[in-house]
Amino acid sequence: MSERELHRIAVVGGGMMGRSIATRVSQAGLGVVVRDISDERTTQIKELLEKDLDREIERWGLTQSEKKAILARIEFTTDVRKTAGCDLLIETINEDFAAKKALIAELDEVLEPEIPIIVNTSTLSISELAQGLAHPQRVIGMHFLYPVTTTRVVEVVKGQVTSEDAFETARRFVRVLGKVPIQEFESPGFVTTRVIMPLINEAAHVVMEGVASAADVDLAIKLGFEFRHGPLEWADRVGLHRILNWLEHLFHETGDAKFRPCPIIRKLVRAGHTGARVGKGFFTYDGERSRLDRLPDDTPKLG
Amino acid sequence: MKVLVFNCGSSSVKFQVIETSLEMIEANADKTLAHGLVEKIGLSDSRLVIEVEGRKPYQEISEILEHRTAVERVLKALVHPDHGVLKSVKEIEAVGHRVVHGGEKFASSVLVTPEVEAMIEECVVLAPLHNPHNLRGLTAARSLLPGVPHVAVFDTAFHQSMPPEAFIYGLPYELYRRHAIRRYGFHGTSHRFVSIRTARLLDRPLEDVRIVTCHLGNGCSMAAVDRGHSVDTTMGFTPLEGLLMGTRSGDLDAAILPWVMTMEDVTLSQLNAMLNKHSGLYGISGVSSDMREIEHARATGNKRARLAFEIFCYRIRKYVGAYAAAMGGLDAVTFTGGIGENSSLVRETSLSGMEFLGIELDQEANRTAPRGKEVLVSRSGSRVAVAVVPTNEERVIARDTVRVLGGVMPSFAVPGTEAPR
Repeated sequence: MSERELHRIAVVGGGMMGRSIATRVSQAGLGVVVRDISDERTTQIKELLEKDLDREIERWGLTQSEKKAILARIEFTTDVRKTAGCDLLIETINEDFAAKKALIAELDEVLEPEIPIIVNTSTLSISELAQGLAHPQRVIGMHFLYPVTTTRVVEVVKGQVTSEDAFETARRFVRVLGKVPIQEFESPGFVTTRVIMPLINEAAHVVMEGVASAADVDLAIKLGFEFRHGPLEWADRVGLHRILNWLEHLFHETGDAKFRPCPIIRKLVRAGHTGARVGKGFFTYDGERSRLDRLPDDTPKLG
Repeated sequence: MKVLVFNCGSSSVKFQVIETSLEMIEANADKTLAHGLVEKIGLSDSRLVIEVEGRKPYQEISEILEHRTAVERVLKALVHPDHGVLKSVKEIEAVGHRVVHGGEKFASSVLVTPEVEAMIEECVVLAPLHNPHNLRGLTAARSLLPGVPHVAVFDTAFHQSMPPEAFIYGLPYELYRRHAIRRYGFHGTSHRFVSIRTARLLDRPLEDVRIVTCHLGNGCSMAAVDRGHSVDTTMGFTPLEGLLMGTRSGDLDAAILPWVMTMEDVTLSQLNAMLNKHSGLYGISGVSSDMREIEHARATGNKRARLAFEIFCYRIRKYVGAYAAAMGGLDAVTFTGGIGENSSLVRETSLSGMEFLGIELDQEANRTAPRGKEVLVSRSGSRVAVAVVPTNEERVIARDTVRVLGGVMPSFAVPGTEAPR
């Protein structure tokens, strides 16, 4: 088994996830090519990427010259064929089975057979996506957790025919990103989503039953188990529409009642109160997504 | 003899070929035959530049993905009939390597053996950003030039003579035992070199003089060199402590850090970058990390640039006083490094009002000090001499290589301490 060196990474899809991955890869000193569907999109992605970097400079995490170096290593293209020559490809387009399937089929023809294709997904089946390809063994799943920039763990998911080679390369890629790979086999919700969803769902039930207020439930769990955020604030930050989606998906896949979405979550989503991004979910947030209605005890303290 | 010197960073390899010998060192007559660098290692457009005295610099762009390839290309360039300087690599009689951190294992430069290489590897934990790259270059060069001796020269070695009262922090002693947390100091090659040259300049034996050396460059540090031995230095466990620098904070109250983390909700890596890259001259002035630009902004009335400049000089003055006290007297203050060698204003401001210590600057000599020359800039009657001595790290490495091979320098030393090895 030959170890493939990673020098150039292709990222297909320039959403928040794609930008974050491209930045990390470039920061590690590797070359990146980012592909999106139109010139307007790539121009916009470049602007957003610069904005992300400027925000990090404001937080003292980066310097102007580091920003320049990071941007210098990132190319943008609209042509899928420009991804040929990369050592690994990761796609970060929308969580849509048909779209991903079509993209992967196209990539399977463009890329050398030994180049791993990483599918970024939290719910889709790797094996199903790889079905019918000329080289299905190169397809691997990866699940990045919110927020992508700071969360240190990445789930690396093996489908039924994924090769050991592709899997190993994917794990090394995760290390390049400065994160920790968790090795998993394909299963609905993988590990993290499957374990965290019942917690969020149960917290919502506790609120619905009137056992405690949302703020108190969150503070208890946060302080009690040393979480960065309570489960409801975390759900707000991810987006309640996504949480609802995942719960429905897991309920549908497993038929297990513990995943049946709590009505309160559905109600909030129907009202458009999907969380921090829109300013309202279980809690309220300002334009910077800082939470406004914190309890007096819910503040950082020295000593 | 011809010595090849390597200084390997994360994505660069700097090199020089220096003609030197024990006699040439004595006469200060060693010569740089060629120098250059490889940069952007790891990318497809890496650049190799080689410059030979009297010729136009030559450069080539190609894909160089690792240090070994970089070292290979350097050797190839050195023997190239047009832009090289050697007929064959066999002319290289020894190789000197810069290694940043020698921990408590190395108190002097040392001939590299497999054991030494393993010991340098053990110091990686103390300098994770530097030692791995130094080692990569060292390993590559040793395998490509197996027939010649290789010598490692450490930034920390010169300061290993500090007494415990200077190097132990006021923290629980377990931290020293468990993690070797203590003051190490850096720029050791430079402090050693300029202190030796200062004694020469004064025409006094090194064993008789107490010198405060100020290395003011990108990073800044001072050392108290008591009769040839470093007894204290401003940089500490890392190169962050001590003087104000271009983008580094230098001394500060450590309790500020948990405060900032809480108040600003920054991560550890943001905090680290804040201290190392957003502070110092740049952080205070908001203008630049470059002293020339600070001086210019100050002259045109920029208040914060002026403040940054004053803080920079004040810290130097404070440490001159402290180190005079540490050594029980003072014979010379020496300036070196980009700022130390070129800014007469920094030298003047730092040493103003220190006549009580016997420091009398010759304003005229200070202002007109020629570039690249070793000169005295104090008045003839001044009890304490003030010197400007250009430093040359690569040359010190070449000299140490010759000295270690000539048996003039003890090649190995492990002081008896309690810290883990």
